[in-house]
Amino acid sequence: MKNMKKLLALVLALLMVVSMAACGAKKEESKEIVINFPCIWVGTDAKAPYMAKLVEEFNAANAGSIKVVIEEQTDYQAYRDKIRTLITTGNAPDIFSVDNPQELANFSATGKLMDFTSALEGDWKATFNDGCIDPYIYENGQINFLPFESAVIPLVYNTELLAEVGYNEFPATYSEMMEMFAKLKEAGYNACGQMAAENAWSSMLWYSQLVASIGGPDVYKNGLEDPAFVQAAEVLREMYNYTFDGAVSAAAADVNGHFIARDTAVYINGCWWIGNFYKEENAVDGKLLADVVDVTGAPTWEGGKGEGAVVTQAQAFLCAAKQDDPAKEAAIIKFLQYITEPTRISEWEASSGSMFFIEHEPAADLKEISKKFAAVSNEANFTVYTFAQSVPLAVTNELPAAVSALANDVVDAQGFVDMLIAARDNA
Amino acid sequence: MKPTKSDRKVLIAFLAPAVALVVLFFVIPVIYVAVVSLLKWNGLTSAEFKGIDNFVALFKDKAFLRSILNNVIWAATAAAIQVPLAMLMAIILSRKPKGWKFFRTVYFFPQVISGIALATMWRHIYNAESGLLNGLLRLVGLGHLATDWLGGMDTALPSVLIYWVFYVGYYMVIMMADITTIDESYYEAATLDGATPFQQAIHITIPLIKGTSLLTCVTLASVMGLRQFEQVYLLTNGQPANTTSTIVLYLYKQMQTGNYGRSSAAAIVLIIVGALFIVTIRKLFEDHKKDPKRVIEKEAK
Repeated sequence: MKNMKKLLALVLALLMVVSMAACGAKKEESKEIVINFPCIWVGTDAKAPYMAKLVEEFNAANAGSIKVVIEEQTDYQAYRDKIRTLITTGNAPDIFSVDNPQELANFSATGKLMDFTSALEGDWKATFNDGCIDPYIYENGQINFLPFESAVIPLVYNTELLAEVGYNEFPATYSEMMEMFAKLKEAGYNACGQMAAENAWSSMLWYSQLVASIGGPDVYKNGLEDPAFVQAAEVLREMYNYTFDGAVSAAAADVNGHFIARDTAVYINGCWWIGNFYKEENAVDGKLLADVVDVTGAPTWEGGKGEGAVVTQAQAFLCAAKQDDPAKEAAIIKFLQYITEPTRISEWEASSGSMFFIEHEPAADLKEISKKFAAVSNEANFTVYTFAQSVPLAVTNELPAAVSALANDVVDAQGFVDMLIAARDNA
Repeated sequence: MKPTKSDRKVLIAFLAPAVALVVLFFVIPVIYVAVVSLLKWNGLTSAEFKGIDNFVALFKDKAFLRSILNNVIWAATAAAIQVPLAMLMAIILSRKPKGWKFFRTVYFFPQVISGIALATMWRHIYNAESGLLNGLLRLVGLGHLATDWLGGMDTALPSVLIYWVFYVGYYMVIMMADITTIDESYYEAATLDGATPFQQAIHITIPLIKGTSLLTCVTLASVMGLRQFEQVYLLTNGQPANTTSTIVLYLYKQMQTGNYGRSSAAAIVLIIVGALFIVTIRKLFEDHKKDPKRVIEKEAK
């Protein structure tokens, strides 16, 4: 009995030692820094595979000390809403991206974002394109936003459809392009893709291109009262005559689908879409979409101020939440430096077709379409941000209503611009 | 019998959690929204007191006025079409015709499907080029009627309303449950007097459910109509030209642009419109007496 008691005491003591050791191990484990990253570069996004690879490699290289956890976000609007709400409530994610420059000043003013100034003092700053960071420094003087993904938005056209109506080259002027649009429509094709649902994305891009070509580089400085906005709206309305049926209620997927199906001749979108030109699933009769398209800058608007205009977009800024723990701040910076490292950016560019604000050697295996997008950007007389990134948010949000009213002939071009002005003034 | 002091304590103990939850999750948020409605605030930086400026701006905004009108149309359609349809189905099915269980399940089934899935399905049905609706019209030689249902100024709102109106299962089940509690003897007596099923429905069933499940369903349906968001957001996002916008969608868009003050003002207007609607519905139904015998006697007169 006595021995039994001793044995029991020994077992209990052993159990205590084992459980305390387990607690110790747990404590050891908890030293790992977990970085939460709600990320939009997931799912079918062209950058998703490389993003996943980078995170996997980084986590493997830092096993036990840093772990980046990707929270998949596939919807841009939902992502914007989420980030805004989290910042508003003081719960900014450890790392996130912002695609809307109009929000940056307000985000910065919250004081809840990480200041990258000291982190950039070393070599890291040199990896970013010259002067691309400074325009996004706001009243507090901090560097809260790292320009990451840029985008050029040229026109892409189906060479086979254009050849069918007698065009071996893309028209040089808008009036010639509209003539070609009429011929394409007569031949049973949609000349261009338009849409007024969601955020009226494609129509917004066409409108951006028109406004820049007509009004020139300073058109947004003049405000919506610049006559270029009305002139551009007149052309946009005309373009709705040459698009597919149901464009007013169409979404971006419809516009993309028509171009992929080879029944729309001219397409406008940013370089983030380049990966789709090479997807097997978009091939028709064994031909990739890339085999039947070419890329061009905007036509010239006769008498306009914006010859050689190219529309661009600041596609993403990398941001992080302000941290109390210096170790976590260092871990976040380490990860951001890892993903912005120039050789990785080259690989990322090659695999996705995306463009970046990071200095890097163009990848040797850069896809042909990517080269053409880059050429359009290099040959631009000037670049201008998209309409959506150049006007207040209230105007951007009113755009689908104004476009659908214009396309339905509820308002004329002046009425279209008046709707936008009213949204701006009423904000 | 007058409640004793200990009764009161028990009552308070039972009520306290519910009251606390209502205060926490309804009263305080409403007060907060009311305060924010008087501010110019983007949710991120400091706020500025603006008095009733947000309300003035709201009523100058055509999109908001259209949203109020649309909400009234939604609520009225719910009360005047959706609930009567549900009532009709409930009356028919509660007579237990052949296959009634199957039809009850079929009508209720859409209620268990996600609103997003339904809206996506209807987007495809309404698609101007490849949609089922236009396909059917073309098939029966009415191709000239094919149109961009969700993009047309005259067709967008009816298109969004119509698909929703036919989802009557929820209200149908509530009313069926009520109808089954009606004493069979009323129907037996009416049958002996030679009343047809239609007359029985008009003079017995409807009067007896009017003050209970019918009132509940009309109130619920109107409130659902007033807070309409998902269907509109997913099908049209308020377009074309804001013709399908609703107050909740409007306030959501204001929040998206960081205009929290305006958004809160819209929410206050929604609360007022909702309260007016509920008061009106109760007024319309208040003359009704719940006592079945008095109802039947009144009908007999």
